[in-house]
Amino acid sequence: MISFLIAVGVMCALTSLLAVIMVIADATIANYGEVTLTINGEKTLTVDGGSSLLSTLKEEEIFIPSACGGRGSCGLCKLKVLEGAGEPLPTETPWLTPDEVAAQVRLSCQVKVKNDLRIEVPEALFSVKQFEAEVSALRNLTHDIKEVRLALKAPGGITFRAGQYIQFEVPAYELTDEPVYRAYSLSSSPADGSEIELEVRYVPNGICTTYVHQHLAVGEPVTVNGPYGEFYLRDTERDIIFIAGGSGMAPIKSILHEMARRGNRRKARYFFGARSMRDLFLLEEMKALEGELADFCFIPGLSDPAPDDDWSGETGLITEVVGRHTANAAQAEAYLCGSPLMIDACVAVLKEKGMPEERIYFDKFA
Amino acid sequence: MIQSPCMDRVQREMRPGVITQNGFLGSDHRSLQEILDHDDATVRRLNLTHQAIAARMCALRDAGEKGLGETIAVAPCFEIRVDSVRGKLPCPFMGGTIVQKLNTTVRHTVLDREVTYTDLNIHMIEEHGFYEGHGSLFRMAPEELVAILEMGEDDGA
Repeated sequence: MISFLIAVGVMCALTSLLAVIMVIADATIANYGEVTLTINGEKTLTVDGGSSLLSTLKEEEIFIPSACGGRGSCGLCKLKVLEGAGEPLPTETPWLTPDEVAAQVRLSCQVKVKNDLRIEVPEALFSVKQFEAEVSALRNLTHDIKEVRLALKAPGGITFRAGQYIQFEVPAYELTDEPVYRAYSLSSSPADGSEIELEVRYVPNGICTTYVHQHLAVGEPVTVNGPYGEFYLRDTERDIIFIAGGSGMAPIKSILHEMARRGNRRKARYFFGARSMRDLFLLEEMKALEGELADFCFIPGLSDPAPDDDWSGETGLITEVVGRHTANAAQAEAYLCGSPLMIDACVAVLKEKGMPEERIYFDKFA
Repeated sequence: MIQSPCMDRVQREMRPGVITQNGFLGSDHRSLQEILDHDDATVRRLNLTHQAIAARMCALRDAGEKGLGETIAVAPCFEIRVDSVRGKLPCPFMGGTIVQKLNTTVRHTVLDREVTYTDLNIHMIEEHGFYEGHGSLFRMAPEELVAILEMGEDDGA
């Protein structure tokens, strides 16, 4: 019995010693002290070393888009690190093209701030802010798409271009032990930046979409940051082809309202793909926009209308609908938002119709 | 079977927050080897192979891709939606495989049951016979998966 107790005591002592060594190591070996970040050759920040570049910049209120919580699985948080970070890690290389490696592009979530770094941050990201907001309204647009309206509290307003997106912070809840961010296009008009609107489609097992669809309630506080993205209407006189499916409606709706507000008279056709009537939404709003805009037509297409849908509109995959309505797209430009599968297929159709690839703008959900 | 040090390393990769937010093991407290052995025995009892199950998952995913992100009906009794989520995931078995995050949801309309799997699930089943641990978001018990995918012993070859 005594030898058993001695053994247990020795084990406890060894475990405690190990824990003390680890705490000391963490406070000394892993302590990189203060380091300097030089941003775009002009701004310098003195920060504590030891964290990832992504989270270090976030602490300094410089928000780099990221959708995976810094695990290196989304490839969004690319930045040029010109000095101080060494070679790209194996966790980064799947995301980097040879040109990007040559240009010293890195995944900021994988770069640990251990010594002075010289980095480049796109100017547009300096206007990204974090907003504390409150859910002001929730509405089911379809059986699996929810409209979320947020009143911005601090700061009280956002300036964005129609078509851009924000990142929505999901707090810790039953599906996640720590906050995570997911990107959603703004569906509201930039005209009133005090409230923003998102359209969130439920994804089975999705951490954010499950939270929004099953837990979020009116009056709850929410944190978002933004705006981000290069998906916005180009300032040309070309005819426009919009194509979307599901919650890809969001940025197109924002762009259309902005066109109406500014009296934009360009010819625009909007092809929207859905399976059946229960997947269609905002039909009345689109109809109203047909009246407000000079030359706009909304063309929904159902790939598999239900027998009781009483549908007399376009049928077939959205690629087929676009193909039937577009004789020659050589002089037009296109804006696509939705599933990557839909976008890839539509890009092929538009190219077949003569549209140069550089005039096809898209916001892939991938 | 006693778990090898190599499997210990793989099991560490499967913990929450390493590759995915919630990891691959859920609330399962068994060793990875025990999980693999148990599911392997189940698949053998069903007279199937992991490769045949993965091939069926691939075939249904490919059929579902024709919906371009929307749900489509696939004979004889499925509704399938395939869609991407931003990002890629490395296989936790550390073989260097990295796959796109592609979600496939298959609903068996007669049974009124559905399963959602990723391309990483297909890879892990085909190459490693891994169906994730109990309580994991993407856990697919082989019996349930086989039933929803409408597989029988004839599919085991």
